[in-house]
Amino acid sequence: MSKPKVKVAFFDFASCEGCQIELTNLGDTVFLGLLEHIEIVEFREVMKETTSQRIDIAFIEGSFTREADRPRLESIRARANVVVAYGSCAATGGINALKNHQTDYREFVYGKDAEMPHLDSFQAQPISAAIQVDLAIPGCPIDQAEFARIVSDVLHGKAPTVPNYPVCVECKLRETVCRYQSGDHCLGLVARAGCGAPCPADGVPCEACRGMVDSPNQPALLQVLMEKGGLSQLRAETKSRLWTARFRNEE
Amino acid sequence: MKTYFLPQHELPSFVSTLLQTTRVIGPVAKKHKFVFARLASADELRLDYDVTILPPKKAIFPQTQPLLKFSPEGYEDVGTPQPQILFGVHFYDVKALDMLDEFFTDGHADRRYLDNREATTIVASSIQHINERAFFASVGADVKPRGHDAFLTAIEGGYVYEILTDKGEALIKHGSFRAATGDEVSSAYAANAEALDKCPQHIYHSTREIGRRVRAAFGRDEVWDELAEKCFSCGTCNTTCPTCYCFDVQDKWNLDQASGVRERTWDGCLLDDFARVSLGEGATDNFREKAAQRFRHRVMRKTSYLNEKLGGPACVGCGRCAIGCVPDIADPVRIINRIMEG
Repeated sequence: MSKPKVKVAFFDFASCEGCQIELTNLGDTVFLGLLEHIEIVEFREVMKETTSQRIDIAFIEGSFTREADRPRLESIRARANVVVAYGSCAATGGINALKNHQTDYREFVYGKDAEMPHLDSFQAQPISAAIQVDLAIPGCPIDQAEFARIVSDVLHGKAPTVPNYPVCVECKLRETVCRYQSGDHCLGLVARAGCGAPCPADGVPCEACRGMVDSPNQPALLQVLMEKGGLSQLRAETKSRLWTARFRNEE
Repeated sequence: MKTYFLPQHELPSFVSTLLQTTRVIGPVAKKHKFVFARLASADELRLDYDVTILPPKKAIFPQTQPLLKFSPEGYEDVGTPQPQILFGVHFYDVKALDMLDEFFTDGHADRRYLDNREATTIVASSIQHINERAFFASVGADVKPRGHDAFLTAIEGGYVYEILTDKGEALIKHGSFRAATGDEVSSAYAANAEALDKCPQHIYHSTREIGRRVRAAFGRDEVWDELAEKCFSCGTCNTTCPTCYCFDVQDKWNLDQASGVRERTWDGCLLDDFARVSLGEGATDNFREKAAQRFRHRVMRKTSYLNEKLGGPACVGCGRCAIGCVPDIADPVRIINRIMEG
């Protein structure tokens, strides 16, 4: 009963491509196992072939930062049955959105080359700012198990979902001692879960690398970061911009 | 009912002997907190714990539990549970397990829960240290713990071991027990009474009065908006609660995309999407969309809705929700007092 394999392609925009690299970290068993069911038709990290044909699932990494990228995104959308924003840059703007709060980044990073035309970019945005996205898988990088589950769901025609509850849920289920009960701060209260909460379990506050839940209580977050986490008002306000710059209320 | 005495220095060898044949789950230290965990050795056991992060229900109703395995050939059971001893359970958690026994039996008998429950021997223990947020002495005080098989009380020089069931009696052959003297039994009684006397937080109204007044406050949106203003909908008050029993069921496919496992995982009514339901054709609706509605629902469940079924509130005063809530808005003592003040 061999069904035709699902055609899968990977594309990248403004990103480190680490989420694609993370896929190659799935290991032989899982990666080759998935290849029984999917056919990868474009994936710059592992093959040189590209495709201009119809795609079943397009995984797009990276944020939308240049008008010049819009036609390419639109072309992918037109050819793909399912478009998945793959990783935090594509899903939320991710770490790139830090630039949205800066003005001197071109000179700072590129010095004398700052005026090169390919650096002509605007605010970092999720790819949903340019095209319709069917599903966003956040994470910096993406979670391997979540990726495998979502591929399964698509293969079986089940609507894939990512959690819309905070990281606190996953910390509690594994009985991690709360950072706030160790005199620390943490963004897990508003951070989108799905990672399994590895950072607080290792004694590191959650930085919300998967962005925030749909309805984060930001006023309460500021208050607990100051009152329970011991942060100054400025630090409480800028805290978490690393991955959630696009979520923050302040300009 | 028989009562025995185990000298202090004999406890480790008793627990070690149990460990040799049976899975024993007891309180152990985790940083400056405590958790119930499978004991690898007797010296990990910390009967001086105040309260654990998660309640011991996880040994019977695990955070994630496989329900069945499926394949193109059909489905199969996930196996029968192995016997286990839940050692060192405080009385409030025994009361909570009694409530779960009721929830998982009433209407539909939940075999996954009941099989695990049947395979478990519960040795309750006295409370040696009391958490500052505990209010177990004044909530549902008429409801007594029933589901344990034995009760171990720390007194000067050792432990009084009170037997309540055959399962509890079956354990004494593994330790150097002797019959307890009248004085030892009196000391145990006094130690348990002292734990109630020293319980720091209090609810001063009767279960009936609280249930009535909380229900009457259902439509007072300004009260619920005020109480839930800082709520993150993180569900910590659910996930740490010993009487919460809601779960979500998901199918997970194996790599072959043909077989898989059906699992259930704890859910919580404070979570944003808990009450999101399908309207068909991809549409959904959330019938408790606001955090204040979800916050109110939990309070109703714990103080009112289940009282007739349980003979008391669905709360045992362990204080875990108060301890775990970062903005500190989940404490039933404060919520009830706020509502009772009008």
